[in-house]
Amino acid sequence: MPRLNSYRELEHLRQRLREQRQSITTTVMVCGGTGCRASNSQAVIDAVRDELSGQGLDDSVRLCVTGCHGFCEQGPVIIIEPGNIFYCHVSPEDAFEIVYQTVMKGEVIERLLYEDPVSGKIVQTEAEIPFYKAQDRRILSQNRLVDPCSIEDYIVAGGYAALPRVLNGIAPEDIINEIKSAGLRGRGGGGFPTGRKWGECMDAPGDEKYVICNADEGDPGAYMDRSVLEGNPHLVLEGMMVGARAVGASKGYIYVRNEYPLAVKNSRIAVEQAREVGLLGDNILGTSFSFDVDIARGGGAFVCGESTALMASIEGKVGEPRPKDVHTVVDGLYHKPTTLNNVETWANVPSIILNGSSWFASKGTKGSKGTKILALTGRIKNTGLVEVAMGTSIREVVFDIGGGAANGNSIKAVQTGGPSGGCLPLGKFDLAVDFDVLAEAGSMIGSGGMVVMDEETCMVDVAKYFLTFLQDESCGKCVPCRLGIDRMLEIITDITEGRGRMEQLDLLEELGDTISQTALCGLGKTAPNPVLSTLRYFRPEYEAHIKEKKCPAGVCKALITYRIDPDKCTGCGVCISGCVHGAITGEKKQPHVIDAQLCQKCGICRSECKFDAIQVF
Amino acid sequence: MLQYVNVNIDGATIRAPRGTSVLDAAIEYGICIPHLCHVPFLSDIGACRLCIVEHVVNGRSEVTTSCTLNVEEGMIIRTNTDKIRRLRRNLAELLVAQAPNSRAIQDIALRCGVKEVRYPFRNEDCVLCGRCVRVCAEIWQARAIGFVGRGKDRHVDYPFGIRPDFCKQCGSCVQICPMTIPPCDGPMKPGEEYLCGKCESQLMDETPGSCAWCKLGEGFGCGRYVGV
Repeated sequence: MPRLNSYRELEHLRQRLREQRQSITTTVMVCGGTGCRASNSQAVIDAVRDELSGQGLDDSVRLCVTGCHGFCEQGPVIIIEPGNIFYCHVSPEDAFEIVYQTVMKGEVIERLLYEDPVSGKIVQTEAEIPFYKAQDRRILSQNRLVDPCSIEDYIVAGGYAALPRVLNGIAPEDIINEIKSAGLRGRGGGGFPTGRKWGECMDAPGDEKYVICNADEGDPGAYMDRSVLEGNPHLVLEGMMVGARAVGASKGYIYVRNEYPLAVKNSRIAVEQAREVGLLGDNILGTSFSFDVDIARGGGAFVCGESTALMASIEGKVGEPRPKDVHTVVDGLYHKPTTLNNVETWANVPSIILNGSSWFASKGTKGSKGTKILALTGRIKNTGLVEVAMGTSIREVVFDIGGGAANGNSIKAVQTGGPSGGCLPLGKFDLAVDFDVLAEAGSMIGSGGMVVMDEETCMVDVAKYFLTFLQDESCGKCVPCRLGIDRMLEIITDITEGRGRMEQLDLLEELGDTISQTALCGLGKTAPNPVLSTLRYFRPEYEAHIKEKKCPAGVCKALITYRIDPDKCTGCGVCISGCVHGAITGEKKQPHVIDAQLCQKCGICRSECKFDAIQVF
Repeated sequence: MLQYVNVNIDGATIRAPRGTSVLDAAIEYGICIPHLCHVPFLSDIGACRLCIVEHVVNGRSEVTTSCTLNVEEGMIIRTNTDKIRRLRRNLAELLVAQAPNSRAIQDIALRCGVKEVRYPFRNEDCVLCGRCVRVCAEIWQARAIGFVGRGKDRHVDYPFGIRPDFCKQCGSCVQICPMTIPPCDGPMKPGEEYLCGKCESQLMDETPGSCAWCKLGEGFGCGRYVGV
């Protein structure tokens, strides 16, 4: 493609590309996001492509390999336009049928349609699926329009329209005022007002400034940044360009963890394509604005998502946080003023510039505007990426979008915000997804992870899991985080193994408070949240572990015993052959018995038993 | 030319040169803030967190380490509030439970008001204050030792565990280490793990509030030069 030297040339290109695509009658959008790739979508893509060229449909049908659609559980997912037909769990063998029946004849294949697990209805179009219907997809909906490896797709879809506006008309101060009045807050977890951050960075002395995109998402169960960067890297790039123009930066970095190979690849391709057409580099679109972006790959340390550790990592130093008494907007990367924002924050920027701050602020609550992408996982029917307006209640997210508990269990709690967040009980499900509301309840939105837990989840075990994660990921620089988390884990381990004492609960609370007030960085400051919030809302569970030496959920191995109910046992012998420890004995057709000495409480027998005869106490 | 700013530390207005840390300014003035990883002439990393203070901004106080906080005009600092004393005590308790046999750590713990230790003792030798690493890198420009590993695996070691040629065995790292003060051979025996407070720190009872490390105010330098 030729280099674009002015705004007009960009618009001409957009016009020309749109005209070229008028001959296309049908678009087949196959999800090529990481979730669907794990369900073998690459083979589906290849099969559909072969089938299309075999039928000679290359010119009239466009195969678009898109980023994540969000409904990863149903992958591989195909959407066919026109008609908005939604096929799920597609296998490569279905390619012929899809092309021959749906693409060529316009007939719908019943067998590939989505069946709603709540109502049992068959749903034909994407728009009708309850999972999508209850959402407010401002960013994620753009994912399915574009092939992440194609800048043409992004331009056709109306991309890079915000950039000329900020280059030609709006002064940097006005960009920042627009972001400020939109009320955009950092989506990475802290919820710091983005406009204020940009303003401080713009006012900071120095000619050399940086913007950084933080794609070092590492929360267990969270993958929204990954999906946005994989699925629509140009959107993030455009946001960064707007930000760079506003704060006066000429260099940017996308810090993406190396465990996200597709995100690394797609963002690299996007940067190269943007450079080729002159949207990155010197004198962008013929103006005096010069800006370039490099990809920095992270080595997979969770703490490198913290701003100063991330900057140390880009500088080539050990990824450790440093004290932030002087903020990074003044003293950041290479000791220069630096604006660091999360992927989702950057992705929100172009639409604010295009549609105005009042459009953005039309969704949301008083303190939190716009939408938030959540990674909905755990023991619910529909899992995947969910984008809702701020202010939506947790109940709506879990029950309306998530479809409620799977396996007929009842939902007990939801863990929001990953290792830095907390657990909220069912009684708090009316709370809204809102930075301030959740923080007040002892949890946080964080980057947007939402893990739903049912009655078979032990909350003490959950706290232990997150502490183990944080102890592993703590850099070890400061005392409260290194020793404090270690001691908390020591106490929690005591409790789960039946050595707990009641006074240790108060010690946990006091220690948690000390860590959150004195730790050096955000990781340490929020590390006690999982323990403090479970202690706050599920104290009886802790007390049951300590006083009765029982785990109510039947999870903590030291406190449970497996027993076979002689009334239910039919003596089929499945558990005997399943037990790898040889702990089950019994005659055929006679009730079997578990030897408590030999039993390792692995739970294999329980999952094998068809008669529900194996009980946990 | 040095520019001076006025800061308010514990109610006293202190005139300090711009660019000094709150900790230095306070010590210079005679307000002792307990500290471990801070050594004059070395950079501050804020690792031990013992020198925390309350920094009052617009009526709201935030807890931060005074070694990394630079003085600014009109700053209000509280070094000895109930909250700070409680947090500091909890931090010192964590430290002394980790390295109970070090007299330096014992003294700090007593100075910070630790009466009982609620965690099982671990007989570690190093609390990762990083004095040795910084003296090697900053005074001798050698970088012969550094931090290795992450989290609880973090330790001080040579590069790849082999003593490099540029380590001249000058011994600065040993001298500056707070753990090299000979431990008291008193109470720390298996099964009898408690803090007796009978080291230098016992002097504290006579003049409460003074720093055990500086021998009752013989000079505020002593605590800062432990091991040097």
